[in-house]
Amino acid sequence: MAGNGEEPRYFLIWFILFVLTMAEVGYAFLALPQWLLATGLILMALWKALLVAIYYMHLKWEPKRLWILAASPLPLAVILVIAVLTEF
Amino acid sequence: MSQPAASTADRHPMPGMMVYNVKLGMWIFLLSEVMFFTALIGSYIILRFAHPDHFAEPGAVLNVPLTAFNTFVLICSSVSMVKAYAAITQGDQKGLKFWLLVTILLGTFFVGVQVYEYIILAQEGFVPMAELYGVAHEIEGAALYGATFYTMTGFHGTHVTIGILCMWFVLYRAWQGKYSADNYGGVEIMGLYWHFVDLVWIILFTIVYLI
Amino acid sequence: MDAHAHAHEMPWIRRYVFSTDHKIIAIQFLLMSLFFLVVGGLLAAMIRWQLGFPSEPMPGGMLLPDEMMAPTPAGAIMLPEFYNSLVTMHGTIMIFFAIMPLLVGVFGNLLIPLQIGADDMAFPRLNMASFWMAFPAGLLMLVSFAVEGGAAGAGWTSYAPLSASGEYTGVYLGQQLWLISLTILGFASLAGAVNYITTIINMRAPGMTWFRMPLATWALFITAILILLAIPILAGALIMLLFDQTIGTGFFLPASDGEPLLWQHLFWFFGHPEVYILILPAMGITSDVLANGARKPVFGYHAMVLAIVSIAFLSWIVWGHHMFQSGMNPMLGTTFMITTMVIAVPSAIKVFNWLGTIYKGNIHLHTPMLHALGFVSMFIIGGLSGVFMASTPVDVYIHDTYFIVAHIHYVLFGGSLFAIFAGVTFWYPKMFGRLMNEKWGRIHFWLTLILYNLVFWPMHSIGIQGHMRRIYDPTQYEFLQPLQPINQFITVCVFALVAVQAIYALNFIISIWKGKKAGNNPWHANSLEWTVPSPPPHGNFELVPIVYRGPYEYSAPDVEEDYWLQDTPPPSETAAPALEPQPVAD
Repeated sequence: MAGNGEEPRYFLIWFILFVLTMAEVGYAFLALPQWLLATGLILMALWKALLVAIYYMHLKWEPKRLWILAASPLPLAVILVIAVLTEF
Repeated sequence: MSQPAASTADRHPMPGMMVYNVKLGMWIFLLSEVMFFTALIGSYIILRFAHPDHFAEPGAVLNVPLTAFNTFVLICSSVSMVKAYAAITQGDQKGLKFWLLVTILLGTFFVGVQVYEYIILAQEGFVPMAELYGVAHEIEGAALYGATFYTMTGFHGTHVTIGILCMWFVLYRAWQGKYSADNYGGVEIMGLYWHFVDLVWIILFTIVYLI
Repeated sequence: MDAHAHAHEMPWIRRYVFSTDHKIIAIQFLLMSLFFLVVGGLLAAMIRWQLGFPSEPMPGGMLLPDEMMAPTPAGAIMLPEFYNSLVTMHGTIMIFFAIMPLLVGVFGNLLIPLQIGADDMAFPRLNMASFWMAFPAGLLMLVSFAVEGGAAGAGWTSYAPLSASGEYTGVYLGQQLWLISLTILGFASLAGAVNYITTIINMRAPGMTWFRMPLATWALFITAILILLAIPILAGALIMLLFDQTIGTGFFLPASDGEPLLWQHLFWFFGHPEVYILILPAMGITSDVLANGARKPVFGYHAMVLAIVSIAFLSWIVWGHHMFQSGMNPMLGTTFMITTMVIAVPSAIKVFNWLGTIYKGNIHLHTPMLHALGFVSMFIIGGLSGVFMASTPVDVYIHDTYFIVAHIHYVLFGGSLFAIFAGVTFWYPKMFGRLMNEKWGRIHFWLTLILYNLVFWPMHSIGIQGHMRRIYDPTQYEFLQPLQPINQFITVCVFALVAVQAIYALNFIISIWKGKKAGNNPWHANSLEWTVPSPPPHGNFELVPIVYRGPYEYSAPDVEEDYWLQDTPPPSETAAPALEPQPVAD
C-alpha cells in the first residue's frame, strides 16, 4: 500500500466526494444551456470516479502497468457509444 | 538462427503485472464489468439521444434529493470499506470486523432505499407494460425511460447485493481470524469490487438522475 | 512431489468429473465440443436436405415429432418453422458450443500452463466452474428443441424486432432459452478469460519472456482479452432482449420507439471481435505446427505477434461492415469500409510469414502439418472473399446471399476447423499419452479437404446468382430454379463430408487405447509441453523449468538434433549451470 506506513487521508477524499455530490445536485438545477450542464456534470462525475479509483482502489500505489490495464476498456466504450450516436 | 545465451537475469521468475494473482484477476474481471455497464449505460444514452421526448427532465419523475442522499450513503460505505482494509494492513482485527460490519449496514441501507424508490415509482405508474404489474395508469414513455432506468439501476443494485453477500463471507472469515497484516488479499479484492460498484454508481447517478 | 501423491488420493469424481486440473478440464471441453460439433453437423445435413430436395420426405424424418416434420404417406416433410430453428441452431451451436470451446476451452486450458511452464491455471476452481457453466448452457440450448414452439428461429444473430417478440417467429420459450443459455455461456467464457490472462501475465516460468512465448499462447492471450471485453457487451444486449421478450420493456421494439438498430450495433460490437476469437487461436496453432512440420523457425516471429495484436485492436472498429445494408449513416459506412480493408494488412502479413516459414523447409507432411497447410490455403480463399465484402458497393449486391455463407465457412470450417484438426492431432499425446493413427489421419484429411471444397466452392457462384442466405424453399423463385442441380450436388457432398468425419471420430476414439505410445516429444518440437511426459502428471513440471530461448529453434547450427528444447541449457553452460532448477513450490 502506501509503503511508508502512513495511512492515506481517506476521510479527506470522502469529504471531497461529499462536496462534489452536493455541487453536482446544485449545478444540475441551474438555469444553464443543456450542453453546459451536461459537460459540467460529466466532468464532476469523472473527477469523483477518478478519486475513487486512485485513492480507494489504490491505483496511486500500484505499478504503472496496472494503470494501463485498468484504462484499456475505456477507449472501446467511447468508440461504441460515439459511433452509434452518429446514427441518430 | 540462434540467440545469445540466457543471462542470469533470465533466471528469476517473470515479473508479470507485479501484483499477486487474485488481485490481478479481480482487476481483469472489473474490466469486463466496465464493458457490461457500457452496454447498459450506452444503450440509455443512445436511446435518449434518439428519442428525447420519451425522457423526463431531471427531478420530474425521479426523486433526486432522496437518491443524492443514497449516493452519499454509498460513498460512506466506500470509506468504511477502505478503513477496514487499512485496519487489516496494520493487523487490527477489531477494526477490520467493525468497519466491515459498517460497510454491510450501509450497503444494505442503500439497497433498501432503492427498493423503496422502486415501489414508489411503480405506484406512480412508472413501469413498462402497466397491465402486467396491476398499475392503473402508465406514465408516458415508461416503456423506454422506465426500461433503461430499471435495467441500469437494477443491475447496479444486483451488484451491490452480491457485494453484500460476499462481504458477509469476508466478515465470517475475519471472525475466524483468517486475515492478518501479511495476508489481507481477500479484504483487498473485496474492497476493489466494492469501490468499483461505488464508482459505477457515481457515473450512473450523474447520467440518469442529473442530466 | 506432494501434488502427485495428492492426485492419486482424490476420489474418481474429483479427478475426472469435478477436476481442477487444467488438462482434465481441457479434455472435458474437448469431449463436450466434439459432441456439439456432431450435433451441429447433423443440423447442417438437415438444412441441406431441405435446400437440395425441397419439400421431399426426409430420410429418417418420421423419427422427429410432428412439430418439426409434417407426416405424409410418403414420409415426413420439413416444416418452415423447423427450418428456421435449424438454421439458427446450426449457427449458434457451431459458433458458441463447438468452435469457440474447441479453440479457447480446449487449447487454452491444455496449452497455456504447459507452454509457459506453470503448474496449473491461476484459479483452478474458477476454471472448473467455467466448464460446469458451459456444459449446462449447451444442454439448455439443446433442450430448447423440445419445448413448445421449438428452438429459437431468428437466426444466430437474433436480429430485433424479429427476435424481440414471439409473435413474429412463433417461438417464445425457445428464444428465451437461447438468450439464457448464451448468457450462462458468457459467464463461463469470462471465467476462462480472467483465468487465461492472469495466468499468462503472472505465472510464466523464469526466462519465459513475452517474446519467447509460443505463438499459440500469444494468440490465446489476445483472444482472452477479446473475450473479456466483448462478451459483456453481448451479455448486456442479451439481457435487454430477454427483458423485451418477457417483462415488456421496449429496448429494441419499434412499437415503443425502441431501436432495432441498437441491437445490431451491440451484437456486432461483440460479434466482430468474436469472429477473431474464432480465428486467432487457429492462427497460433497453425504457426506452431507449420514451424514444426517445416523444421524451421517461424518466419518473422515478432511480426506475427504484432499482427495478432493489431488484428485484435482493429477488430473493435470494424463491426459496422456487418450492417452496410441496415440503412446506417453513410459516413459511418465508409469509415467501417476503410478500417475493414486495413485489417487485411496484418492478415496478409500472417499469410506471407506462414509461406516464409515453409519456404525451403525440410517439410515433414505429418497429419497436423497437412491440416495446417489446409488451414493456410483455405484461409487465403476465405480472407480474399472477405475483402470483396468489405467494399460497400459489392456488399450491396452479395449481402445475405450464399456468397456470405461460402465466406464464413471458408474461414470457420476451412480455417478454424482445419486448425482444430491439426491442433487436436498434434497435442493428442499431451491429452491421452498416445498418437493418433497417421494413415487414417491422412485419409481423413484428403477426403475432408476435397469434399469440403466441393461443398463450399459452388456456394460462391450460387450466391452471386442471387441465392438467399436463409431460404426455406429456393425453388419458389423462378430465377433460382436453374441452380437446383448445384444445390443437390452440394447436398450430396455434405452427406459425404459428414460421413467422412466418422473416420476422424473412430481414429480419435480407438487411438485412446490402441494408439502408438507417444513418449515425451513425438514431434521433436521445442516448447515446454514437450519436456514433460505424455500425459503430463498432476502439477505438470517436476522442477520449475528455466527457459533459455524462443520456441522455434528448429535446425539450429549449435546443436546436433534439428530441435532445441526451450529449457535445455546452452552448450557453454551444461558443464556448470549458473543456477540449479528449483523444485516446484507448493
